[in-house]
Amino acid sequence: MLSLSDIVSGYGSQSVIRNVSFDIPESGLVTIIGPNGHGKSTLLRTISGIVRLQSGEIHFEGQRIDGLRIDQIVGRGVVHIPQGDMLFPDMTVQDNLLMGASLVRSSNEIAERRGKVFALFPQLEERKDQTASTLSGGERRMLAIGRGLMTGARILLLDEPSLGLAPVVIEQIYKIIKELNDDGQTILLVEENVSRAITVSDQIYLLDDGRIAWQGTGEELSSEKNLMEVYLGV
Amino acid sequence: MDGWIQILVSGLTVGAMYAVSSVSLSLVWGALNVLNMGQGAMLAAGGYIAYTAVMSFNLPIPLAIVVAVIVGALIGGLMYFLIIRFMVGKEGFETNVIVATFGFALVLENLVLRLYGAYPLRQPIGLEGGWYIGATHVPYQNLLLVVVSGALMIVVAYLLKTTRMGRSIRATAQNRQATELMGIRISWVFLQVLLIGGGLAAISGIMLSTLTTLSPTMGYDPMLKAFIICVIAGLGNIYGALIAAFVLGLFEVSIQFIFGVRFGFPALLVLVILALVWRPYGVFGKRKTERL
Repeated sequence: MLSLSDIVSGYGSQSVIRNVSFDIPESGLVTIIGPNGHGKSTLLRTISGIVRLQSGEIHFEGQRIDGLRIDQIVGRGVVHIPQGDMLFPDMTVQDNLLMGASLVRSSNEIAERRGKVFALFPQLEERKDQTASTLSGGERRMLAIGRGLMTGARILLLDEPSLGLAPVVIEQIYKIIKELNDDGQTILLVEENVSRAITVSDQIYLLDDGRIAWQGTGEELSSEKNLMEVYLGV
Repeated sequence: MDGWIQILVSGLTVGAMYAVSSVSLSLVWGALNVLNMGQGAMLAAGGYIAYTAVMSFNLPIPLAIVVAVIVGALIGGLMYFLIIRFMVGKEGFETNVIVATFGFALVLENLVLRLYGAYPLRQPIGLEGGWYIGATHVPYQNLLLVVVSGALMIVVAYLLKTTRMGRSIRATAQNRQATELMGIRISWVFLQVLLIGGGLAAISGIMLSTLTTLSPTMGYDPMLKAFIICVIAGLGNIYGALIAAFVLGLFEVSIQFIFGVRFGFPALLVLVILALVWRPYGVFGKRKTERL
């Protein structure tokens, strides 16, 4: 579904991602793990068009998407939920969700998607008239995911959904991620919380200094004690 | 008593004119981070276009106003296509765009000067007559300006609050990259805001010229006042700018009435300094906090 071929990207003349290649199948859940500052978020930012690709190709459903504008990439169904949520703080929960449906013309379709989001995150329905700035950290994360779902994403690029959250909220968020994936949602996850990511991922890639240093399943990663200790401090 | 009625009528009229101009400036500033130094020249151009539509093309006044608003909006669009679209996302955007829009203002102002000359012209648009509250004469023109300004503010508020376009504009003001990640083409938002800003500037120019006269530099004073109002309200805070416009209009007129006309503007500046000492981020602005 999403295919990265030998991509190099970074900021200015500096390369952060170096010759990364991998494929994500439809309905797959692939996780990128790795130490802080080694290019995980930059990889997602490259796919969504925020960071310029220096070389290589990115294909989505058989069509090349590198070089497109950010809004065009979103229009294809590649939706990035960045670290820190990037909500619209002075807008209500409702308006934030409607922003997610900016490309949807049918009001029935919008209502249906909003219904699904509220079914997944009942807290959001209770707080729909509150501004996003008044939400708790967990609710903000739920809103960010809900807003991403409102776009009708074909693939969700999720950047550290557990960052800064209480363990009980992380459990809740991961339960939703698993449910979404079970329902067929393709997800590319970036995560530092390795122990949590292992439980949901079909395939895991370890990114070290912008290169893929290891790949395998969660089960295989669990047995790599040395790797877990050296790279991930687990 | 009559004096206070006079202050109220004049203050509300001045406030109404400041409001339209300030909301235009604030909208462009808040949503796009563009301090539009061309606002004054766009305002003057709006007044002259309405004048031409009536005097040269014999259009009925309502149609002349519509034409002026459309051409004003197109001037805003022209500013986007000629200048701003080449600068968006580039280093130093916020500073460079100030210089670039000032250059645009100079071109527009000199074009008006070339076409119409430097002599003040009388705007043919306006209402004659008025009524008396006690001994105070209240011109219909002043009432019309307050009503038009109020109606415009309602339309702008409705547009921003309830429409898809308004939501995109508000979202862009809060987080431009997040807006792009929702599939919104930011260049369209820029164009839309500049079209609206240009239309509002034209209306402001027509309103102002009905009370004074048309001249190529007539827009500088209202632009300066609009700038002051936006700073007091909090940069980019549209609703704050609206309230501040009326409050400052009433304040300026009160000072002029009580102490003399020459004290109006200095008093306004003193008020700005005091307001910014008290709240550096504007009376209605929010303190910016950064996570460490």
